[in-house]
Amino acid sequence: MTNPKRALILGDGAAGTILSNKLRLLTNKEELEIVVIGNSRQHYFKPDGIQIPFSLKPYRKSVKNPAFLFNSGINYIRDEVIRIDIAQRFVTVKSGKSYDYDYLIIATGNRFTPEDVPGYEGEAKHFYDLQPTLALKEDLARFNGGDIVVGQSSIPIQCPPAPYEFTFLLDQYLRERGIRDKTNIHYIYPLNRVFTMSTVAKFIDELFEEKGIMTHTLFNVDNIDSKNKRVNSIEGESVNYDMLILVPPHRGQKVITESGLADELGYVDVDRHRLTYAGNDDVFVIGDATNLPVSKAGAAAHFQSGYLSHHIASDIGGAAYEEQYNGECACTTVTGKDNAITLFFSYDRPPRSNFHSKSDFLLKWTSADTYFSGMVRGIM
Amino acid sequence: MAEETKPTKIIDARGSYCPGPLMELIKNYKQAKTGDVISLYSSDSGTKTDAPAWIKKSGNELIGVYDRDGYFEIVLKKTRQ
Ligand SMILES: Cc1cc2nc3c(=O)[nH]c(=O)nc-3n(C[C@H](O)[C@H](O)[C@H](O)COP(=O)(O)OP(=O)(O)OC[C@H]3O[C@@H](n4cnc5c(N)ncnc54)[C@H](O)[C@@H]3O)c2cc1C
Repeated sequence: MTNPKRALILGDGAAGTILSNKLRLLTNKEELEIVVIGNSRQHYFKPDGIQIPFSLKPYRKSVKNPAFLFNSGINYIRDEVIRIDIAQRFVTVKSGKSYDYDYLIIATGNRFTPEDVPGYEGEAKHFYDLQPTLALKEDLARFNGGDIVVGQSSIPIQCPPAPYEFTFLLDQYLRERGIRDKTNIHYIYPLNRVFTMSTVAKFIDELFEEKGIMTHTLFNVDNIDSKNKRVNSIEGESVNYDMLILVPPHRGQKVITESGLADELGYVDVDRHRLTYAGNDDVFVIGDATNLPVSKAGAAAHFQSGYLSHHIASDIGGAAYEEQYNGECACTTVTGKDNAITLFFSYDRPPRSNFHSKSDFLLKWTSADTYFSGMVRGIM
Repeated sequence: MAEETKPTKIIDARGSYCPGPLMELIKNYKQAKTGDVISLYSSDSGTKTDAPAWIKKSGNELIGVYDRDGYFEIVLKKTRQ
């Protein structure tokens, strides 16, 4: 009997975990060894970051031990990847070991780089990771009125709708606390509309107007003047704040750049339909680590994992897999009290958004359960 | 435009989707000096309206928007300090 091939998966977040579990369901141990290397201490379901600050959800429901999320028959190694050598076909980790592969899958996500915005650190707050989200919850509880500025410092960010989702929930929270009339909510956005996808932007814009949320478009954050409590844009505009909630800039992981695989922002340029890197048939990149023109979303990682697991399983079985990844994604996003919209889109099909509903809202509210019980396990 | 202004920098963002080309323009703008001329190539039709809107808002000069063979060229002069 021949030795099993090895799929080496880098990253233990949404993409790496879903892919490895899907692959395990589609292949057996005699034909494929699955090794996942990841350095996360907890697997945090980041979409809950819009609910936790408003006490809509206890954070403990949103975190799990990553080791418990892998199906049996997967070799999970907790370590940090420090070098990826595609020419020599191996990966080195911090503890000194090296691993070779038959299939390499990079799923290392991205990191925050607040240092890219002068004045950010120590001044701006955000809801993009668990600790800052919990801190924001405390800050909001102490807030008693004034100007709140919400936005993002740059593009791309994970989950592009999250800033507007958060803004809707902020509006609701302030109303429930009886301080909405004492608060101005300012929403800043880099483009000349309130969201990248123009079909959705129109819809959100109307809802913002209904709720009295002030918008400042074509606002690309240049710096934060913490002394005067002012956020300044490259375009020469300024907005004053009492509280600034700004999604920090994102870049790809350092190891991607240091291994020579990155574009300027640290993301990997991959084949749009095959998810391969630079003509290598055995090197794939999925999730937030890519520079694909799709949202950096767990939902996108989920669709990519579906495609890639079938591709690898077919390759092992010796059958050609003719399907291509077409940029498919489906995201449910909150649009106010008890309402949400589900956006379906792909590379050449923009999303439609003519209505929002309570049933979509329920879908969003139960998404952590769906994620941890089904999606992450590879059975959905 | 009577005479074509020679760009100081050409950004070839063809093949990248919205908002990629505009973000490229803004990034390069940040690094440019006053008086520099930046030319942006884009095959995404959204850029044709988004980039001029941004140039106007940011208080710089839009030299022109040109239909080229299968793409657009948008030329900006950095006039702000
Ligand atoms: C506030 C918020 C709301 C969101 N809402 C939604 C939503 O509603 N729907 C949706 O679909 N998506 C949403 N997302 C986005 C979603 O969480 C991400 O797109 C998703 O987590 C991407 O998965 P990933 O595996 O590519 O990256 P990650 O989940 O970030 O995982 C990357 C993993 O790689 C590991 N890693 C990195 N570098 C190394 C290294 N050198 N060595 C070893 N391991 C390494 C990290 O520890 C991490 O575990 C949201 C995100 C945020 C922040």
